[in-house]
Amino acid sequence: MNVWPLKFRDMPDGSILFCDDAGAFFRSSHGFLDRYAADSLTALDESFLREGNHGFDREFDLPWTSFAYRWARRQARPTRMNYVILVPTLRCNLACGYCQVSRVAEKARGFDWSVETLAGVLSFLGRLDGPDIKIEFQGGEPLLRVDLLEAVRDFCRGKFPQSQFVVCTNLQALDERAWAFLDADDTFISTSLDGDRATHERQRTHGSAVTDVFFRNLETAVSRYPEGKISALPTVDVADPPDFNALLDNYERYGIRSVYLRPMNHQGFARKIQQGDNVLARWNGLHSEFIELLIARNHRTGRFMEEYYFSQCLKRVLRFDADDHVDIRNPNFFASDYVVIDHDGRFYPTDEARMLSRIGRIDLSIGDVETGIDRAKVDLLNSGALNHFDPDCVHCAYQPFCGTDVIDDISRYGRIDVPRPDTWFCGRHLSLFDKVFEILYRSDEPTRASLAAWLGLGRWDDSMAPAHQ
Amino acid sequence: MIPLRIKVEANADQMFVVRLRSFEGVTREHKAGQLTPFDVVLDRVGPEGAHYVGEGGPIRILGIDPANVDGDVLLVNPRRGTADRLIRSSSRHNTFLVTERCDQICLMCSQPPKRHHVDLFPYFETAALLAPEGATIGISGGEPTLFKAQLFDFLERVLSVRPDLSFHVLTNGQHFGEGDREAMSCIDRGRVVWGIPLYSRDPVVHDEIVAKAGAHEQLLENLAIMCRLGAQVELRTVLMRPNADGLLKLASFIAATLPFVRTWAIMQMENIGFGRMNWKTLFYDSSEGFDIVGRSIDRVRSRGIDAWLYNFPLCTVPEPYRSLAPATISDWKRAYRDECNGCSVKDRCGGFFEWHPANRGYSKLGAIQ
Repeated sequence: MNVWPLKFRDMPDGSILFCDDAGAFFRSSHGFLDRYAADSLTALDESFLREGNHGFDREFDLPWTSFAYRWARRQARPTRMNYVILVPTLRCNLACGYCQVSRVAEKARGFDWSVETLAGVLSFLGRLDGPDIKIEFQGGEPLLRVDLLEAVRDFCRGKFPQSQFVVCTNLQALDERAWAFLDADDTFISTSLDGDRATHERQRTHGSAVTDVFFRNLETAVSRYPEGKISALPTVDVADPPDFNALLDNYERYGIRSVYLRPMNHQGFARKIQQGDNVLARWNGLHSEFIELLIARNHRTGRFMEEYYFSQCLKRVLRFDADDHVDIRNPNFFASDYVVIDHDGRFYPTDEARMLSRIGRIDLSIGDVETGIDRAKVDLLNSGALNHFDPDCVHCAYQPFCGTDVIDDISRYGRIDVPRPDTWFCGRHLSLFDKVFEILYRSDEPTRASLAAWLGLGRWDDSMAPAHQ
Repeated sequence: MIPLRIKVEANADQMFVVRLRSFEGVTREHKAGQLTPFDVVLDRVGPEGAHYVGEGGPIRILGIDPANVDGDVLLVNPRRGTADRLIRSSSRHNTFLVTERCDQICLMCSQPPKRHHVDLFPYFETAALLAPEGATIGISGGEPTLFKAQLFDFLERVLSVRPDLSFHVLTNGQHFGEGDREAMSCIDRGRVVWGIPLYSRDPVVHDEIVAKAGAHEQLLENLAIMCRLGAQVELRTVLMRPNADGLLKLASFIAATLPFVRTWAIMQMENIGFGRMNWKTLFYDSSEGFDIVGRSIDRVRSRGIDAWLYNFPLCTVPEPYRSLAPATISDWKRAYRDECNGCSVKDRCGGFFEWHPANRGYSKLGAIQ
């Protein structure tokens, strides 16, 4: 039998994790590593490897074909544009200290789509093929320009058989027209809820009356709409994190069971915030703590909540088709299935690229609605948007599950060729996948129950995470 | 039970395909625009049956309300005075039985093979072209790929003329080969699902169930070919006592080595054909022993591969797995029992096979409140 190359990594319990390039994995011992390295596998080793499809006898046999299939499926390369993030205005009625887009004041002029820009956006959408579209309205505060939102939505409903709209709103100023816009079944709400009231007020609303308005509007939305219509995420300041128990209680109170715990992005106003030393290590510690808290809480209450990004990483490990989250996939080519259109009609490959360009550090725009997408610039960015040939990633056991983040590298280091292990992205994801595998190989009931819930299974049992002596 | 064969009278010598149309409330001009040479239109209904007229000559249907057969496509055998309802327009369960020959003799076969074969492909092609918009048509046997040249031609032609149709072909997967690449590449692969049985990871168990030495080895080789051809495979495992113990091992094998299957279906068996003969030694009461089924389905689903329970009455399935048990028993084979009265999930339950035994079946069943 020819064994496909295995990469390996120490696990906290002294065992070793082995992964192949197609993402199959198992836990084993130093003894096995020695036998593997010395090419002296036993019959038992070979039989285990064969059952796990880690080897093949001849080209094109079933194990060979299956490995090729799994490897190919892991290389996500969506080609149809069906997700467009729109920024009809950069104006906002809040002034959050960590604002990543450096929003402008509510009364500022010249930061909304012009009539020509709106026409250009619609014309761009009109040229997209396919049966479906997802539009995410970002800002600023998009509901300051409901009229533009209506124009886009009306157009999309007429053009695409299926369309979905997400309004990323701070829920501060909702007049009748805004509520009417949100009432539609094809329209969803995404908002920020930074934990308990005190944290939310400290980080976002800065005053009791404004906080009251937010929670009143959130409560109205929750009572008005079915579960699943509203999603929310908290932005966490490592230097002053919220009480996670209170955060989860608050989310559950509003019927939101999926929490995307988000560190402050290194863009916009947020760059100026001092979060102290060892931010990465402290973030990883906080996140791990949050996962433990979730597992214990889920077990205690019998009501299952998840950390969205952790669930996504968990699925990336176990499945070959979990490519639907743009923050983690490989390759992660730009302007292939989604793109951002800013308040001035410029295209950006990601929301973070828009944020980074806004502070004048680098121009990551890739064309505008008049001239179209600048493919030469996209190709340049794409050259760094994959981990296949990175000199560090090629040795990493987590390579098949992981991704890349060119924009974050530019933002933090001003270049994309920093040794991978020195980057925030790598440090964060090594820690995340360490946590994923730690959890996968646990055998306590609370962990199993949460794993089953996060994966949508009836039950998780120990044998689902393969192990060999 | 829904009749699949009805009595007819027609003035013809040879078999022919015809579609019945009622056109109640439709004007004459409108009618004319919608008719093909294969359509006959309801003329009158009397005590002696329903009279249809059309280009192919008059035909009389007996013993069934014309409202129940409107749009149906029939294969009429005038000498016998019968017609097979090849396409029932109101049903999602239409299957063409293309042959009764088979090279396997599965222990639980519900349709035991026969040597005799009549090539009906030309009739099936005509019927398929008359199918309702968006229909999925089943192809079954016997073993359809014993006549794979005709089958590939049939699929290619129908799918190219009718871009709205799809096919679901039940095959034992024994007869594909690299030489089929060209024929398969002419078929729109997105619209054909190949339902292929694999009963065990253990070749001995599989070969015994299908009564063919070497079948397991051949099947695995051919599954690799199907993967490389980009064919959509629905892997089917009828759950029985001989393979129940090995189900989890099979699940692990599918998760590791057959990631390309579109679906894995664990299926409950039918008490008919050989299945009835061998019921006592084969039937696995999953209402008692669901644990192995649940663990197997979770194993496969944990790797992102779809897995479903076919032909499982919902009351025999624990609540967390009921969403994985769609109503798959064909309408014409389906029955509900006295125990189903008052069941809160009856609407989405596939019920029981009409021939499921009253006493020797599931030990735990009954209305879900």
